[in-house]
Amino acid sequence: MSISPEIVLSVRNLSVSYLAKRGRVRAVNNVSFDLRKGETLALIGESGCGKSTLNLALIRQLPITGSIDSGQILYTRPDGQTVDVVSMRKEALRQFLWADCAMVFQGALNSLNPVLRVRDLVYDTAKAHRLNKAEARRRAFELFQKVRLDPARVFNAYPHELSGGMRQRVLLALALLLRPQIVIMDEPTTAVDILTQRSILDVIEQLKAEFGFSVIFISHDLAVAAEIADTVATMYAGEIIEIGPVDEVFYRSRHAYSLALLNAAPRLSTGQEELLSIPGSPPDLIEPPTGCKFHPRCAFAVEVCKTTPPPLIMPEPGHRVACHETDRVMAHNNRKITT
Amino acid sequence: MTSIPTPRPVAAAPRRSPGQVLRRLWDSYSFRVLIQSLVTIWAVTTFTFVLIRLMPGNPIQIRIDQLMNRGLTFEEAEQQAANLFDFDPDAPILEQYVDYIGKLARGDLGNSILGGGTPVNSIILEFLPWTLFSVGLGLLLSFLLGTLLGVIIAYRRGGFLDNFITTVSSILYGIPDYVIALLLILVVGVQLQWFQVGQMRGAYNPAIEPGFTLEFIASIFQHAILPVGTYILSTTGSWVLAMKSSTLSTLGEDFITVAKARGLSETRILSAYVGRNALLPLVTRLAISIGFVVSGSVIVEEFFQYPGLGRRLLRAITERDYTTMQGIFLVISISVVAANALSDLLLGWLDPRVRVGKGRGR
Repeated sequence: MSISPEIVLSVRNLSVSYLAKRGRVRAVNNVSFDLRKGETLALIGESGCGKSTLNLALIRQLPITGSIDSGQILYTRPDGQTVDVVSMRKEALRQFLWADCAMVFQGALNSLNPVLRVRDLVYDTAKAHRLNKAEARRRAFELFQKVRLDPARVFNAYPHELSGGMRQRVLLALALLLRPQIVIMDEPTTAVDILTQRSILDVIEQLKAEFGFSVIFISHDLAVAAEIADTVATMYAGEIIEIGPVDEVFYRSRHAYSLALLNAAPRLSTGQEELLSIPGSPPDLIEPPTGCKFHPRCAFAVEVCKTTPPPLIMPEPGHRVACHETDRVMAHNNRKITT
Repeated sequence: MTSIPTPRPVAAAPRRSPGQVLRRLWDSYSFRVLIQSLVTIWAVTTFTFVLIRLMPGNPIQIRIDQLMNRGLTFEEAEQQAANLFDFDPDAPILEQYVDYIGKLARGDLGNSILGGGTPVNSIILEFLPWTLFSVGLGLLLSFLLGTLLGVIIAYRRGGFLDNFITTVSSILYGIPDYVIALLLILVVGVQLQWFQVGQMRGAYNPAIEPGFTLEFIASIFQHAILPVGTYILSTTGSWVLAMKSSTLSTLGEDFITVAKARGLSETRILSAYVGRNALLPLVTRLAISIGFVVSGSVIVEEFFQYPGLGRRLLRAITERDYTTMQGIFLVISISVVAANALSDLLLGWLDPRVRVGKGRGR
């Protein structure tokens, strides 16, 4: 298990399924990616494509019906030791959580226990990871200041006394309390207004620069993803179908689905452009389509797409894509930009 | 988007006008709960006072009927009955009401209008403790047992234990308490002969000298076990089901997932995150149940010949003993209102979102 020291998290062939009445739902299928130190990886895709399931699997917090079927989640500790999160025992996992990998959940409104004060949330977290109270308090005050909250006021407040944006920032501060190497953010800005979103993104950038943690950022807001991410991974039907540097994926998409997704989102710069929705709906994950799972909805689909799943190829360093028709997609992409 | 530091409110001036004092008092949550309770008790008392007098048949007529059944003529019976009462049921109702409220304000519930005029206060003092003891014990045990089982099966939902306990709870919940009482008498009294149900009257064995002795206490529990058992069997099911659904919905909350993701210990999550939030809706239910401790025991106490207030109330009603009825109804309404006030305060303590008024926090 020797991987580059640069890489903090290496996910290898991870598959996750849920047990439903009709059968097994393959929510995450054979996903692999690496996360480097200080890197921000944005996962984009439609609702139900497996983004959130992937993230819950990374911290082993899947709902009771979900399970990790195969694969490895290799985490490299600051001391260089690499461990597999999938095979961690209960107590080791408990210590790994939040201290090494914290998560900012979507919907901050419900993420804080309504009957406890913010300080109790801080102290609970500290106690679970053997951080003494005074130090926890000192760090919390410092972090609250950094996320632009009034520490004295917020520390003793109950969650319902804070606004949505404030709660989101409390969560962000709480996530950094134990100085984790990885912070997973599951749509941290969807529940707040656009101004608050702006300020939260600024705060994240600032904190990242200061503490140097890596971020896995889930979003279906492509503009947000484009702004914050270094690397973008497009997910479709539980698979990563394209992954690469943000400019590569956004401006030189090689997968028909990435392109369709981008064409479905409004762009501020190009004004009058027509928005193209993606026909059809996400596939049934119990009996997924044969071949490329996107072919029934794909404008570029040819005969081979219906029968053979496309392999993940690397057309250029750092940019991997699973599509039979990358060249045609690419050409389309270029034409769009030039016209 | 920097938050502007809000200036701290300047400390209030040392001297306050009486108006300000009242204002502050009114802002206090506890004070408002207290005032509301007193008003409710007054309203209920007045209502029952009127209602009792609207019941068909007044106490003298009932007594005359009883005496005539023993073979007396109407005149003889009327004469005897009139001598029994130091009270005139034909007086104007307003006069009776003023008299009643006046005495009530001094803590005097009047005398029983039957049986030589025992003070209603002493009747209540004689019977209330047994009801509080038996129903209270039953409620406490069923609440503890029910919530505990509810949490356990919510954690193991879908398993054998869950299916078994849920089914049993639903069945017990569906059987009325008097049927359970009858079944208990039949099974443990008649079939198994564990208890001499026929001879077990009262709250303890009269042959034993009352006192703080082991024998006496054992006798108290021996006499209470069947009524208490009935209460437990008939109410635990509803606690189990309520706690299960409440725990399940709490377990689905985001903050539980976040707590797990924070690596908190399971005991801490169970107590402060799941337990405390799941109990909130049950606190209100518990308060309602506490309120019905006194009135909920009528039939069961009659079955087991247990000398509680419920059974005494039944007797007062059949005899049209106005003052005793009023007294017991007052106790019932006080207990309901007090339990509600208690639940408001308890909920305010458990759930910060309920704490209204100006003071933030405790």
